Amino acid sequence: MDIDAGLLPAFARGCAVLGSGGGGPVRIGRAAALQALEDFGPVRVVAPGALDPDTLVMPIGTAGSAEVMAERVGGTEEPLHLRAKIEELYGGRVGAVMASEIGGANGCLAVAWAARLGLPLVDADGMGRAFPRMDQCVMELAGLSPTPAVLCDERGRTVVIDHVTGPWLERLVRAALEAFGGQAATSEYVLRGHQVPAATALGTVTRAVELGTRLPDPILTGKIAEVGPSILVEGLGPDAGRLARVEAGSEYLAVIEDGEPVAAVPDVIALLDTRTGEIVPADEVRYGLRVRVLRVPCDPVWHTPAGLRLAGPAAFGLTGLPEPVAARRTAGDGGSP
Amino acid sequence: MDVGPTNTDAALVTRDGRVVATAKVPSAPEDPVAGVRAALGRLPRHELDGVAVGLRGAATAVTRRAGLRRVAVLRICGRSASAVRPLSGWPADLRAAVEAGAAIVDGGGGLGPEDRVPLDREAVRRFAGAVAGRAEAVAVVGLFAPLDGEQEREAAAIVRAELGEIPISLSADLGTIGLLERENATVLDAALSGFAAAVADGLAAALAELCPAAAVFVTRGDGTLMSLAYLARHPGLSLGSGPASVLRGAGALTGLADAVVADVGARRIRVGALAGGFPEVAVGGAEIGGVPIGVGLPGLIRVPRPFDPAELAEAVDRLQPAAGRLPLVVVGGGADAVPGGLHPEHGRTAGAIGAAVSPVGGQYERIVRLPDRSALPAATEAVAEEARAAAVRAGADPRHVEIIEVTDTPLAYLPGPFVRLRARAAGPPSPL
Repeated sequence: MDIDAGLLPAFARGCAVLGSGGGGPVRIGRAAALQALEDFGPVRVVAPGALDPDTLVMPIGTAGSAEVMAERVGGTEEPLHLRAKIEELYGGRVGAVMASEIGGANGCLAVAWAARLGLPLVDADGMGRAFPRMDQCVMELAGLSPTPAVLCDERGRTVVIDHVTGPWLERLVRAALEAFGGQAATSEYVLRGHQVPAATALGTVTRAVELGTRLPDPILTGKIAEVGPSILVEGLGPDAGRLARVEAGSEYLAVIEDGEPVAAVPDVIALLDTRTGEIVPADEVRYGLRVRVLRVPCDPVWHTPAGLRLAGPAAFGLTGLPEPVAARRTAGDGGSP
Repeated sequence: MDVGPTNTDAALVTRDGRVVATAKVPSAPEDPVAGVRAALGRLPRHELDGVAVGLRGAATAVTRRAGLRRVAVLRICGRSASAVRPLSGWPADLRAAVEAGAAIVDGGGGLGPEDRVPLDREAVRRFAGAVAGRAEAVAVVGLFAPLDGEQEREAAAIVRAELGEIPISLSADLGTIGLLERENATVLDAALSGFAAAVADGLAAALAELCPAAAVFVTRGDGTLMSLAYLARHPGLSLGSGPASVLRGAGALTGLADAVVADVGARRIRVGALAGGFPEVAVGGAEIGGVPIGVGLPGLIRVPRPFDPAELAEAVDRLQPAAGRLPLVVVGGGADAVPGGLHPEHGRTAGAIGAAVSPVGGQYERIVRLPDRSALPAATEAVAEEARAAAVRAGADPRHVEIIEVTDTPLAYLPGPFVRLRARAAGPPSPL
């Protein structure tokens, strides 16, 4: 598969779904990807199994505030600076890039930067969705070292972080972000081709395109009835009479009906505005919106005990929440979504 | 006055908001001033203190791609925001009607003074030379200009020195954080400069003759007013002003500060909301002519006529701010077609009444770094002062300007305590 200007809208929409209500402004990532595809041509998507075992794979993304990104939409040279420093630190040529985070703006930025570098994009990513912390990724679960990691801005000002664990990476990145004016391009958890199949969320580029082309059936169709500490969704049409509570932080975290979670982090929850057809970010939910509530299963690794410790409901302050019905069923079947 | 696409409405309103008389005449195509003359002639003769005119021509010019000037775009950001080119994503026909070259030059600000990059003055000069003869107006857009507009003014001075008198729109005057949307708004503002100058001159000449003692104002998209001189400098601020004055009028006629308003026109119903006496802005940014512009236009849902009552009911519910339902006010020339809701007297000319009763407005926004919450009042006061000054520049009486809204929003994902402060000010028209 190649991602070109024609496939980009579906891919970007899939990234918005996988943002689970967060992950930054997709419209900016999408605009940056469109310009890069226009200027440099389509991006080849490579299957994880087809990578040469020794290929150096560079995860890429932007960290920072969505507000800053809305203004500082990014430049054209960040991926060049990242690659140069990663090649210097790891002693070899980067053979492919990968999205650190497929959900939200970063999925689209990976396409933009792959195009600018003339490198293939691995059909995988670090999260399979969006998460607020950099160490909430499959490479961390797989025990890979996040460092040496590289941060830089559009002008090539660069910071190298080394000899730290995932939580410390997060801590040092947040500190560096302030000096970077609230935004930096990053590469961390750099890996080799042979590590990709067991240490990433697989097939997520394809999955974003599929989701953007055909959304799953909603678990609830209704209207936003209240926006307070929780969001209430009142069922409409065939769902009249149902009432669900949506918990949200930077992302949507859980959908609870009759005391029972019908969807919960780490699974993806997306709200679709039925009037505009747009995916609604968690910070734009307001009373009266007619929405379809979608549940998209996350990568199964997130439902392991270690996955849930890193990015399950309790990691987001939701305590006493049983495993969602659907996830228990998935685990019981022993199948993957 | 309210110059609509079909009719031009006029209302004679006393200082305390009482409606003395109204009139409705057909609008003249392409000539808003003719409608204003005719409608004013239908009102009883009266010594007028002021005339406030609602114009929809700016939005019409953009949607019809007609009467727009060719604009050269100067973006000051260096490599910090070059990933997306100016006018990217614009509909091809609008772009073809407006485009007259673009350049990205080094410079721009950031969240703090240490983030600032010096302006590449030589590159600005080269830009001016390259667009000379092609551009009829210039849009200047600086990175983080809503925090610090100094480089935009510096670049405008260079462009003016090279090109002579040419309309120049600065993004800091128009929009908020969100570079691409603010740039779009600035380009449209520059493109509308010819329209605005013609309307401002036409209105000034016609009204000087008809009511020489009256101060003249036009409406803007946030529901406030501005002087003709301000319109000529900032034509983009009039985008969305038609619906905004209808919403304000519905509020004035019912005494409600919060309501959902259905404006029933000949071909469609526009449903919007009034919050705290002013139009509720579109959530997730506004769009005009297929271009996202980010500035706070009234959030509207359009229901075509003949209408499906269920579709209208859904639109009304969508615009409720919360489940505690606000009353529905039905106004506009076709209000009789919609049963239910409040139908205030004179609702047929709500747009003209809204223009007449609205104050002159100004707003200001900036992002500040606050070491702790105790610094908030001082920072807020500075922002409020800028909003007050903006209202005075737009023609408000400085003795009576009040702050009508101050918001502080913490910015997520930043370790530093950054807060976005926004203030809006309004006051009665200056008698000068």
